[in-house]
Amino acid sequence: MNVTLAILWKDLVTEWRSRDRVIAMLIFSLLMAVIFHFALPDQRPEEIRSQAPGLLWTAYIFAALLGLNRSFALELDNDALSGMALAPGNRGWIFLGKAAANFVLIGLVEALTACVFALFFDLNLTPVVPSLAAVVALGTLGICAVGTLFSAMAVRTRFREVLLPILLLPALFPVLAGSVNGTIAVLNNQPLPFEAVQLLIVVDGIYLIVSFLGFDYILDE
Amino acid sequence: MTESATREEATTGSSEFSRSRLEKRVDGLRGPSGIAMAILAVGYAYTVVAAPIDSVQGVIQKILYVHPPLAYGAYLGFVVTAIAGVLYLRSGREEFDRLAISGAEVGVIFCTLMLITGPIWARGTWGKWWSWDPRLTVTLLLWFVYLAYLLLRSFSGSGARTARFASIYGIVGIVLIPLNYYIIEMFGARSMHPENLKGGSLGEGMGLPFLMGNLTLFFAFVYLLILRWDVEGLRALDARRTAERDAAGSGAD
Repeated sequence: MNVTLAILWKDLVTEWRSRDRVIAMLIFSLLMAVIFHFALPDQRPEEIRSQAPGLLWTAYIFAALLGLNRSFALELDNDALSGMALAPGNRGWIFLGKAAANFVLIGLVEALTACVFALFFDLNLTPVVPSLAAVVALGTLGICAVGTLFSAMAVRTRFREVLLPILLLPALFPVLAGSVNGTIAVLNNQPLPFEAVQLLIVVDGIYLIVSFLGFDYILDE
Repeated sequence: MTESATREEATTGSSEFSRSRLEKRVDGLRGPSGIAMAILAVGYAYTVVAAPIDSVQGVIQKILYVHPPLAYGAYLGFVVTAIAGVLYLRSGREEFDRLAISGAEVGVIFCTLMLITGPIWARGTWGKWWSWDPRLTVTLLLWFVYLAYLLLRSFSGSGARTARFASIYGIVGIVLIPLNYYIIEMFGARSMHPENLKGGSLGEGMGLPFLMGNLTLFFAFVYLLILRWDVEGLRALDARRTAERDAAGSGAD
């Protein structure tokens, strides 16, 4: 458990000093908002509002991919990954530390992106902040669980930036389905749909367990 | 002694690099499964031709005798990959990793053929090539997962690390199957596919060709899987021999 906190702290301090990952993800998701404006021209406000949940999650997932790609690329310098593998105890705790750091950083970018989307697409998010935050947190947990595992794999292959999306996106369909469904309800001022929350909790649980156990084999050597 | 064992001894000159007993024993089933497939294929072709033509859908309905059996083969391949992945992670025996690759490749072939035959049938009966039907969607997602699996293998080269990565990915892939079905059930998309085929739900004269299709393609699956496993074993042998020759060469310098 100490390992988890140490890794989380290390990643957050590193990011605080450079701020490059958060800034890159944020600029990317802002660009996505602008791209959506051009890709869906001449929309009436109510039309764009009905598409907002899907657009928001598209921006979230691609921005998260950007951040996840860098998550382990940092550890390749000075062969830090091998150093990590030498840490005593189950390597699953290392995974939890990295996943938690990704969760915090991606969550921060998502919060800022939501504000920008609200501004650009004239969405009133203030009354739904708690329920939207709950859906986004559950969705992000799933992305970070399996994303951190695959990022550790992809980083040690050829074409790693290309491979991560190909590995990760098919695994994110259940997360995307639950998150978009939940977000649609929240933005329409309806209560959180039980099915979507249940799906997200089940997927998050499964992905966390598989990744925790699987990470032991990923960091070997 | 099996044919491949003889080949192996001839190529290596020793039994030191020979494949595991399990691989040799399974390889012995290749011939019988190939013969079973060939004999069944004749009966399969005959029964499909002789089967009655559907009064509503016409001749295109005969895709029924190919399409679902391909689906079973695809799922079987992915299950083999996941189980072989778990066995590899637990035991570290390379032959399980080779079985995992074989399962994924044969599964992808079956899945691809299913995704080709499906739209042809759909065009004839539903009037459009593609619909976001739940089973179609799940199969497409699954196809992407196993294409990613094969890409992961080809991008990470060979070796124990690749084998471990692929094993983990294969396990995540199999977990996704029930999850994807869960999404679709939950969000209530209406399926254009029939519910599970129950006994008697097939029209008169359709049961036998359907059964023959399942049996033939099952044996085709087994035959291809063993053949692919054999090729992978020979490849591993070749790689080892080359490595040893290189080592001996550099030792002599």
